Amino acid sequence: MSAELSRLLNALGLLVIGAVLTMAFIDQVWFGELPCPLCILQRAGLIAAGCGLMLNFVFGPKPSHYAIATLGAVASAAISMRQVLLHIVPGTGFYGPAVWGLHLYTWAFLFAVAIVLGCALMLLSDRQFSQMQPVSGRMKGLPLIALLLFFVLTLANVFSTIALCGTGLCPEDPVDYELFQMND
Amino acid sequence: MMSLPFVLFACAIGAAWLRHRSVSVGFWLIGVVTMLILFHIHLTEDLMIQL
Repeated sequence: MSAELSRLLNALGLLVIGAVLTMAFIDQVWFGELPCPLCILQRAGLIAAGCGLMLNFVFGPKPSHYAIATLGAVASAAISMRQVLLHIVPGTGFYGPAVWGLHLYTWAFLFAVAIVLGCALMLLSDRQFSQMQPVSGRMKGLPLIALLLFFVLTLANVFSTIALCGTGLCPEDPVDYELFQMND
Repeated sequence: MMSLPFVLFACAIGAAWLRHRSVSVGFWLIGVVTMLILFHIHLTEDLMIQL
């Protein structure tokens, strides 16, 4: 795999992460499902994983960038697994609606595992590292779109979390935006 | 406080945009540590997973 193809695949991967974060926002804003603290941290884990993919297409593919993506995905998987285990025993309830039979935190766990597998598959190709050359000029096309979308979604999470939780910790089961309650 | 990891990751993205790789990785690292500390704070109840 050439370094250029690797950059393109990393940009595509970041777009997929962006799509997942966008769907989480649609669920929050459109359907009014406010995220719990663990749900917010799962989003942060996905962004941490996305940072590794972003570094790959901004600075060129490196094993350390895949390690960054993997560590972020493992952190996200650990957080979502905690939430899965909280509700795994029948009768212990659940959080949020199910989508295609699985709750969002279960999907988050599966997605984090998919990122780890994707990084492992990408690491199988050594040629992308031997062809390493510094990225010159401005970014354009798909990588630029992926980077801008990723940045906007990260900032959107900053404002959403401040609106939901204020400056402290989030309530375990949020029912309203704390910032807007303070103004009432 | 819960928005802190996102702020740090946004800084990491900004540093990468400005082509400062080590600064970007530094922000990422602090962001992950902050995220894990917040995760630890939210482990408030014991798991009941015996059937």
